[in-house]
Amino acid sequence: MKRLFPLLFLLLTPLAVAWAEIPDPPSPPRLVNDFVGVFTPAQRDSLETVLVAFDDSTSNQICVVTVTTLDGLDVSDYAVRLGNKWGIGSHRNNGLLLLFKTRTGEEDWIDVNIQVGKGLEGAIPDVYASRIIRNIMGPHLRDRRDDYWRATTAACEELMKLASGEISEPRDGVDEDDVANAIAAFFTFLIFAFVIYRIVRSFKKFNNRYGGGSGGGSSFGGGGSFGGGWSSGSSSGGGWSSGGSSSGGGFGGFGGGSFGGGGASGRF
Amino acid sequence: MKKSLIIILAVVAVIVMWIVGSYNKLVRGEENVNNAWAQVETAYQRRADLIPNLVATVKGYAAHESETLENVVRARGYGNTTQPTEENVAAIQQQESAISSALSRLLVVVEAYPELKANENFKDLQAQLEGTENRIAVARNNYNDAAKAWNTQVRSFPSNIIAGIFGFEKKGYFKADEAAAAAPVVAF
Repeated sequence: MKRLFPLLFLLLTPLAVAWAEIPDPPSPPRLVNDFVGVFTPAQRDSLETVLVAFDDSTSNQICVVTVTTLDGLDVSDYAVRLGNKWGIGSHRNNGLLLLFKTRTGEEDWIDVNIQVGKGLEGAIPDVYASRIIRNIMGPHLRDRRDDYWRATTAACEELMKLASGEISEPRDGVDEDDVANAIAAFFTFLIFAFVIYRIVRSFKKFNNRYGGGSGGGSSFGGGGSFGGGWSSGSSSGGGWSSGGSSSGGGFGGFGGGSFGGGGASGRF
Repeated sequence: MKKSLIIILAVVAVIVMWIVGSYNKLVRGEENVNNAWAQVETAYQRRADLIPNLVATVKGYAAHESETLENVVRARGYGNTTQPTEENVAAIQQQESAISSALSRLLVVVEAYPELKANENFKDLQAQLEGTENRIAVARNNYNDAAKAWNTQVRSFPSNIIAGIFGFEKKGYFKADEAAAAAPVVAF
């Protein structure tokens, strides 16, 4: 049955292509993705250093993204899709996304959105996110001040303060599939044990009736290889852990966190 | 004769294993759907819980908009927990979009009250409401994805045989509705 999975994925790829309007995650991964160019290279690098250090020490990932267009999507819808596509945060869903849609000719306003991963919704409720946008970022953006740098650093400072109060430890992994696999393996074992028991018993009868040596077991090598085919299926979900393992000097990469729509947005 | 017994046993074992395997897969799939559904219900409940607060705050500034306020309160009242069958999903969607449109009418009315709009408490409520609407949207999308995977599983051969034997049924979908598409923008 599990063999069908690759086939299924192949069938589902056209669906994935439909998400093309969201930019691909940066390679190599970065936390500051200024697609518009509102920060100077020096600003970008210093912000990246601060955010990487915060990720290293608390495992909370704050990602800053600037874009010129939302492709007709609502700003929070866009942010949720981008955050989920990139997988910001670890499996504890402790990612934060600060998204700017910058002022352009046709759309003469700035859209700001703070997306809060589910794991941090307790530390940063929607109201807090909204207050950060209104009261901390607002003064730097309102009335066409458009000071993205000040707004970003002030917001990140506050977000780091709030987030580190909730989650502040290195990552660890638990595979939920393990339990299901153990149960499946147990039942498989029971069935095999029963079948082998019956077969052995029938052979014992056979041997008892016709004498002969005790070499019954050797002819059942085929049964062993059968079992091998089953157990290969039980190792699903291996792909999860690959995300955050390669942490060198820079940013280690996004950890597959997801977003549930928590956070706030504002327009200036 | 013994050989044929072994062959029969082996075939039976393979069939039993296949049944167990696909049954477990169906159970896991249904659990996924139920989990996604629970999140939809949580998001709706969250919105229902916000409404009394919102109405109380608006009342303080715009008491004579009582009709709009009453509409919101009447539309509120998220019902009991249900299974996501096709009829239930459609019914809940209808009920919830009535709440959505009552709320967006309220937010339009509020535009006429600058003091209310400037009130920090009201701004917080608006932020909570916006976050809740976003959560509803995400939860509904996730649910639809889970339901789609499940329905495919239930209807495709050969797992549909197992689904039929054990009475697994198709789940309903949320359809994109007009009220949700026109979510109000919060401008400061």
